[in-house]
Amino acid sequence: MTSIGTGYDLTNSVFSPDGRNFQVEYAVKAVENGGTSIGIRCKDGVVLACEKVITSKLLKAGANKRIATIDRHMGAVSSGLVPDGRHFTSRAREEAASWRKVYKSPITTADLAGRMGGYMQAYTLYSSVRPFGVTAIVAGWDSELELPVDGQVGSGPSIGSGGKAKDKKYGGPGLYMIEPSGIYWGYYGAATGKGRQTAKAEMEKLNLAEGKMSLLDGVKEAAKIIYVAHADNKDKEFELEMTWISNLEGPTKGRHQEVPKELLEDAEKLAKKALDGDDDDEEETKDENKPAEADKMEE
Amino acid sequence: MEFGTSGMLNEDGIHVDMDRLKKGEVNLGTSIMAINFKDGVILGADSRTTTGAYIANRVTDKLTQVHDTIWCCRSGSAADTQAVADMVHQNLGMYGIMNGRPPTTQTAAALFQELCYENKDRLSAGLIIAGWDERHGGQVYSIPLGGSLHKQSYAIGGSGSTYIYGYCDANWKEGMDEEAAVNFVKGALQEAIKWDGSSGGVIRMVVLTKKGANRHLYLPDTQYAVRHE
Amino acid sequence: MPGFDFSNHTRNAALHARGVPLPKATSTGTTIVGCIFDGGVVIAADTRATSGPIVADKNCEKLHYIAPQIWCAGAGTAADTEFTTALISSQLELHSLSTGRKPRVVTCMTMLKQHLFRHQGHIGAYLVVAGVDPTGVGLFTVHAHGSTDKLPYVTMGSGSLAAMSVFETQWKATMTEQEAVTLASNAIQAGIFNDLGSGSNVDVAIITKDKTTLKRGYVKPNERSKKQKSYVFKRGTTAVLNEKIITKEEISKYVTVHELEGGETAVGEKMDIDA
Repeated sequence: MTSIGTGYDLTNSVFSPDGRNFQVEYAVKAVENGGTSIGIRCKDGVVLACEKVITSKLLKAGANKRIATIDRHMGAVSSGLVPDGRHFTSRAREEAASWRKVYKSPITTADLAGRMGGYMQAYTLYSSVRPFGVTAIVAGWDSELELPVDGQVGSGPSIGSGGKAKDKKYGGPGLYMIEPSGIYWGYYGAATGKGRQTAKAEMEKLNLAEGKMSLLDGVKEAAKIIYVAHADNKDKEFELEMTWISNLEGPTKGRHQEVPKELLEDAEKLAKKALDGDDDDEEETKDENKPAEADKMEE
Repeated sequence: MEFGTSGMLNEDGIHVDMDRLKKGEVNLGTSIMAINFKDGVILGADSRTTTGAYIANRVTDKLTQVHDTIWCCRSGSAADTQAVADMVHQNLGMYGIMNGRPPTTQTAAALFQELCYENKDRLSAGLIIAGWDERHGGQVYSIPLGGSLHKQSYAIGGSGSTYIYGYCDANWKEGMDEEAAVNFVKGALQEAIKWDGSSGGVIRMVVLTKKGANRHLYLPDTQYAVRHE
Repeated sequence: MPGFDFSNHTRNAALHARGVPLPKATSTGTTIVGCIFDGGVVIAADTRATSGPIVADKNCEKLHYIAPQIWCAGAGTAADTEFTTALISSQLELHSLSTGRKPRVVTCMTMLKQHLFRHQGHIGAYLVVAGVDPTGVGLFTVHAHGSTDKLPYVTMGSGSLAAMSVFETQWKATMTEQEAVTLASNAIQAGIFNDLGSGSNVDVAIITKDKTTLKRGYVKPNERSKKQKSYVFKRGTTAVLNEKIITKEEISKYVTVHELEGGETAVGEKMDIDA
């Protein structure tokens, strides 16, 4: 036993004497080595972006997408073990589909995050499984309108329903990040993977909580952040992948879609330009970086 | 297999039971309705439950609560509609607790519809779902025998409803105030009770608004004029 | 030929279509009632069990124990009321043990209706459920298909119409225990005298917050009276014309006797099997 440490890190579902689950912490390490993924919640939509590190020159450019569509109005991206991310996606799609089957309406981003948080937490409980080696970011746009029940016939009174509570807003952008422990929070800006510290520092400058950022600006900022975060990892080539979900009036009409090629290229151009011009800034950014301590979220 | 009295064979020698209700089953030969009005919805029903020619219950409550401000009117088999309402009641209770917010009328309608459609060949249930929630205000849904879902300004159902299609069409107005709406429901149900032998007894109503659920009761001995309870 | 054979079902359906009635399960024509009063509830039943036109039991028990403060009156198929109440009684006691609370009447009613609904009316139990629990007094009817009603006074069974006529004319909103017992008993007697399926005695169970009282044979309006005369035939009523005594030894004079070897079977005792 002594030669292999205390042994508390060898199996899932066992606490160490000071109350830690080492397997979960190791899963977090796997995430910390993965390519950077971010999400930005804007006033009229949400952007997801990720740094896809090119592992072989033989891989087809633009193929092997990392950001997945969960439902018409929702997407997810993850950092860490890619197959685990695929399984996460697959389960999230099942949850979204099952919600539609039962409630005849799209699942909200918050509800999907809740379901997936529960699912990932279950993988910390049993010795027969290991925790997910990913941290996932889920983004969605929940309709502000009153949606019909799927399959209903007719639409009720022409003047609409009476007795509504006035001045209440429903729906809007949703952005959640779910970690290997199963913990999940809602964010204005979320980042995970290797470059998360840099990315977070960049996002904090954007004052996202004010809710003034437009989706188009969000796309540009997201590209910039991925490029800045990649700067610490320059020796490896990468592809920028970006998807977005706008409100019903916006470019995607509430759907989760890839950011159009031209817009993506524009954003990349701007990002590269900013990076070249901001070389001095970079040091400053690094100073702001705090050590791993700030990265831990406890409750 | 229990056969009804109308035993019939088709060409293949297969017995086809044309009776919707099983022998001895309790029937809600009924007049039910629900309407939208300015501040929410009103559900209304007669109170007669029959087994064949016998009135098994003359003061039945066919307006069943499935959540705080989501109710349903039941018609068809008493056993089937009670079972379905009980299941949805349980489901919505869980929904409210687990999601930290009350279910909407749409949620309830979706659950009712799924049960009625998936079990359509086992059930004889004609339901009207009506509810009020903060986001959508008052809403009325009707789920007839096959399990389809219809959103309506107002819905009428049960054997007595056939007699009041004309009355409702002529007297219905959008955005009535509460008093007018209550009188509309009462007037319609009075006609249904008058002409339909399977409907009768008292008139029960539930008014659903942001203030919650409010019950009304009108008795035949005062020509349904006075509100009791 | 492999698989199931449905020819009997087809045959039965064809016979039925030609007017042959299907076999009927034994059912009890019955009168059962229940009525709440200030501080409790009373249920009552007749005691006749029938099997077709035959009175199978003149003094059967139709009041079933569920829990100390919850009782059930049963009509319909005798076996079904017996086993259904016993099953729910058992489940309710286990439930009570695991929750550490007294069982409730609504719980009992819900378990019964869900059990009966699951069996889609094939369990022919029509029940009056009554009791007192920490939430108060409860009185329900449960039909075989799983529907339930909650009322201040209820009747069920073939005599329910006769019994209901008594309630509908004499029931009051506030009654003492004795008034309610008398009313319930009168309702049952209306069934006993006016319904062919009901008869014999009145059983009553009174449930209050503090105790349950089962009054078996509360009224016995059909006691067999003493016969006015004796109908015993006197010894010697039948004339003896002649008398002859045959001993065992001389039996072979009258019938053929074969002695059997060990293991041999008599010809007449062989079982014939259809070819």
